[in-house]
Amino acid sequence: MSDSSHASLTPAGAPSFLDLGERLRQHGQLDAAATVTMNGLRQWPTLAAGHDLRGRIEADRGDDHAAAEAWGAALACEPGHLGALKGLAFLAFRGHDFAAAERHLEVAVARAPHDATLLGALDRVRSRRPAAPADEPIRLDDPTSGLLLGDADGMRLSGGVGPEASAEAADAAAAETAGLLREATRSARLLGLGGVKHLVVECADARLAVLPVAPGAALLAVRSGSTPVGRLLATAQRAAGVATQWLAGLQ
Amino acid sequence: MSLERWERLLGEVIVIPGVRGAALVAVDDGLVVAEAALDQLDGADVAALVAALVSRAARVARSIPTEPPRLIHLAGEGGTLLAIEASAPLWLVAVAEPGAEVGRLRVLLGDLAGAVG
Amino acid sequence: MRVLEPWVEAPLAEFLRESAARLALITTASGQVIAQHGFARSLDVMAAASLGAGILATTGELARMVDAAGGYRIVVHQGAQRGLWLAGFDTPRGRWIALVAFGEQSTVGLVRLFFHRFVERLVAAAPRTVPVREVLAEGFERELDASLRALFGGS
Repeated sequence: MSDSSHASLTPAGAPSFLDLGERLRQHGQLDAAATVTMNGLRQWPTLAAGHDLRGRIEADRGDDHAAAEAWGAALACEPGHLGALKGLAFLAFRGHDFAAAERHLEVAVARAPHDATLLGALDRVRSRRPAAPADEPIRLDDPTSGLLLGDADGMRLSGGVGPEASAEAADAAAAETAGLLREATRSARLLGLGGVKHLVVECADARLAVLPVAPGAALLAVRSGSTPVGRLLATAQRAAGVATQWLAGLQ
Repeated sequence: MSLERWERLLGEVIVIPGVRGAALVAVDDGLVVAEAALDQLDGADVAALVAALVSRAARVARSIPTEPPRLIHLAGEGGTLLAIEASAPLWLVAVAEPGAEVGRLRVLLGDLAGAVG
Repeated sequence: MRVLEPWVEAPLAEFLRESAARLALITTASGQVIAQHGFARSLDVMAAASLGAGILATTGELARMVDAAGGYRIVVHQGAQRGLWLAGFDTPRGRWIALVAFGEQSTVGLVRLFFHRFVERLVAAAPRTVPVREVLAEGFERELDASLRALFGGS
């Protein structure tokens, strides 16, 4: 795998094995790079950047399974690790699983919305897969997207309620959505319905979906009144998945 | 509209497999008007909680802003609640087990809502 | 919220939170104020306690006249924007009266649902050591005054 941007992902003060392993990898000395990296990881087993480097080495070797395992370990050490997300997107892209590639990149873009390489990669992935009407892009950082993420206190974290709505309306919607989710949670508990999976509210001119996003946060999806409910939920569930990883990255 | 007629409408709802019960509730005061087969649930509790949900959903709708809610579908890990506006302030409510035919229930409630008036 | 009996605090706080009620006043049938939430002045508490007890007594008498078995335990007044819930209920400490005012954030149904839970929790939390006092109409004012002084710190 070729990735000239790795240096920017290396944390300041990181162990020297990261630089050495990466230089060896770039010179094609993959076995030596792997040895250096594995030795380093024995000393620094929870260093996400180390697992990320191992993922790149394994991807260069053509062992996608080992690479995916390494990037999974990186995400376990550091949720939302950009290098790991890009790596997993790369593997999915190479395997022609464009939907999976897009999901990984969407999470990465949610964390780094101004990263031109990520945005370019996302465009490239989207251009390669057949358009599916239910698979609209997830843009949590875009206030016009009709996707809004709020925390348990009703504070807006990201997004908005549509192209014609103001930031004030989005803030108010975040506050009210938190109250609605609390009410839904209480009702579900008292009526024996268990934990809330989702709440759909239909109005004459709009359809809303509210999904819980751990811990205590809520995702609100707003679509037109003619949007099929199944499609609304599919979009909201994808957005909740992106939001979950985005929130994990904040912690 | 008589109580007997409302109970007949609710009877049509509870024959759908997986439906635990149905009720007609007044959301302005959170009280139950008619109920059917809510054996494991207190109809009064259902009414109070649905009224609170409708009120909260209306506040979200106002904040966006959109028209007021006319259907609420709460899906939980252990079942589903569907509530649809009938004739204000009355809402038709059904509580169903997991695996119930929610799509069919939704269509039926929509049809019956028009007959509540 | 102000409470005279500490064990009342948690059940009442939960009831207020869940029902979104605006005001609450809990008194004994003899007029002692046990807890209040939302009242700013002791005079208001005194008036509300007296009027609430009076309404319950009046409807009780009405129930007797129309032969309503068991009387009326709950009286609800529903206004355009505000509602009032007035209920007598039994506790291990004797008969108590609750007066609850609620606004547009709540409904009669919601107050009813969580009021029943409040009474259950209250009964479960009540210490059993103090004997039940007799309800004496002539002692009502004295009990009310004494408890208001304790709650508001007045003389």
